[in-house]
Amino acid sequence: MNFTIPSETSPMISSGVSLLGERVLVTGSSGFVGVRVIEALARHGFANIRCLVRHSTDTKALEAVIAANSHRAAIEICRANLLSPADCVRAARSAGIIVHLAAARGEKSYPDAYLNTVVTTRNLLEACIAAGGVKRFVCISSFTVYTNGDGGAVLDENSATEVQPHLRGEAYCYAKTKQEVYIREACEKAGLPWVILRPGHVYGKGNEGISSRVGIGTFGMFLHLGGANRIPLSFVDNCADAIALASYHENSPGRIYNIVDGDLPKSRQFLRSYKRSAKAFPSVYLPKPISYLLCLLWEKYASWSHGQLPPVFNRRMWRANWKSVCYSNERLVSELGWKQPVSTPEAMSRFFSSCRESSSK
Amino acid sequence: MLKIAIVGCGKIADSHAEQIRRIDSGRLVAVCDREPLMARQLADRFGIEGAFSDLNEMLDSVSPDVVHITTPPQTHLSIAKLCLDSGAHVYVEKPFTLNVDEARTLLATAERCGRCVTVGHDDQFSHAARRLRKSIESGMIGGNPLHLESIYCYDMASTSYAKALLGDKNHWVRSLPGGLLQNVISHGIARLAEWLPGAPTICATGRVSPALRALGETQIVDELRVVMTGDEGTTAFFTFSSQIRPSLHSFRVYGSQGSLELDEDQQTLIYRSGTRFKSHAERFIPPVQLAHQYHKNLFHNLWLFARRDFQFKSGMKHLMESFYDSILNDTAPPIPEGEIIRGTQIMDDIFHQLSAAQ
Repeated sequence: MNFTIPSETSPMISSGVSLLGERVLVTGSSGFVGVRVIEALARHGFANIRCLVRHSTDTKALEAVIAANSHRAAIEICRANLLSPADCVRAARSAGIIVHLAAARGEKSYPDAYLNTVVTTRNLLEACIAAGGVKRFVCISSFTVYTNGDGGAVLDENSATEVQPHLRGEAYCYAKTKQEVYIREACEKAGLPWVILRPGHVYGKGNEGISSRVGIGTFGMFLHLGGANRIPLSFVDNCADAIALASYHENSPGRIYNIVDGDLPKSRQFLRSYKRSAKAFPSVYLPKPISYLLCLLWEKYASWSHGQLPPVFNRRMWRANWKSVCYSNERLVSELGWKQPVSTPEAMSRFFSSCRESSSK
Repeated sequence: MLKIAIVGCGKIADSHAEQIRRIDSGRLVAVCDREPLMARQLADRFGIEGAFSDLNEMLDSVSPDVVHITTPPQTHLSIAKLCLDSGAHVYVEKPFTLNVDEARTLLATAERCGRCVTVGHDDQFSHAARRLRKSIESGMIGGNPLHLESIYCYDMASTSYAKALLGDKNHWVRSLPGGLLQNVISHGIARLAEWLPGAPTICATGRVSPALRALGETQIVDELRVVMTGDEGTTAFFTFSSQIRPSLHSFRVYGSQGSLELDEDQQTLIYRSGTRFKSHAERFIPPVQLAHQYHKNLFHNLWLFARRDFQFKSGMKHLMESFYDSILNDTAPPIPEGEIIRGTQIMDDIFHQLSAAQ
């Protein structure tokens, strides 16, 4: 695809008119991050919130959030399928801000990931543009778009993103990279202000898994691959707060923001704490030269054998996940004045507590 | 070299594109999907020159020799007709058509246009399936099969497709005459259609499993049992289940001198001889023979792996290769027309009985 990616604009270009009075449409609102975003939007002062969920979605958790925040905001549930343009038109009607969280996370098939991430985004964007009243389109992307291959010591919003994301061997990376490109191009063309937010690994109650940046359990034993790397964690309540803030802040249009917490732990610190505070399990540390070599061999063999092994381990994937780098939320803090609501030690403590609860069930 | 095009750029199209890349006699030149973004993503990832959202435009501008149709089955006939009329041969993903009338129309159109057609029953061309065919043809089980058993399972809990289907009351699979069964059982039925002569009589029962009912599903039949009798008295059992474990994809063929057991997932083929040993020897010698056969299967699979010919969709590659060869050399297609019709007719009969019972 030959898209021209519009560049980011400088901050401080917005009209400055408060958007808190606008109706905000949140896609993916019943998900792990989604319900916290609804809560955060209400806390930040949005009075009208529309939660888009699939027809088949269980909305118990969302309904609990709606009930708990009914004194703050009028929150409605809108059942729709983003693959249906007519549903998108109905959902976007009278919405002033779109917070687009829905995406095909965990999808292994490229066409399915693309369909449920890019095609759905296109449908939603077209509905917003046709509706005419949308003032801001906020897309929740991911750290997966970064290559981490440009040699910088700090990974920030200026770091390189994948140009050939299909070579990463990860459908989600492909879909998210293409989604960002599509949004930037389509919004620029339609004059619709956009914001792209890239959370790191979002953790908290409801997502008790360990980030693949720490290690993987694919081969029957947990291989610790992160070593001394910092892990780009974003506690779910912190992430939701940052999303809510960026959805109305006057500085955010035309900008990309990484969402990571401060005071990030090293991979081996995180793993040690997890084993001590949540669940003990055996793991084997694989030094970086060895994991790099194994990824290289896997990549070469997958190519030589015409895909006899799927190309899921490769050097791009290794760089993106396991190459050492520091992470910065400097832009989020300096431009939007974001303050991390839950400190990292407290967030980890809550996380381990939910892990214990989850494993005891 | 044949110019190949794909219509329909969903999940299965990826497998087609991957396997076409491995074949010397064909080159993928264009893809088409009515959703332009889907066509572009496939072309982008596989470095294909042409990406179209209009089939007529693709046929006019590329003039493909072969078109692979990987769209939902409701569209197979109309797309195949367009392609055949344009002079292309067609490879139609399973299920071939919505019903046997459509299947006959499609094959008649191919006949009129002088073009070849095949159906994507690629499991019949996996390494183990080809060994099974060769073994039966060599007389290993003592002539024609007397009884067949095909088990085809589908784990509803582990696939995104099942989640999408269960979550979407308007999913295209639900509008098929046979619902989920029609989209899934083709591979298991095709094995029976190959070896069951004539027009078999069918007795089918189906139900929604308790597990699916517990999820609130009342329409999707996910448990099916079928008994069939062919013209020459050959009988067959077919089982489809979303619940039994292991989730088998197996085929047993019984003859007068022995039987063969194919495990599609493990790619093993086991022969059970009709000869019995005396006394306790029957309890000791056959297990040793079976262990020996499993070892042979293991080494055979390792050999295929070492030869780089053990991809998960290698059956698809062999079916495609055979189809392209039949076009280039003007020889018989890999799957005879009669077999395609028989398989579609069996499925029609099953769905009619299930719908009558409901």
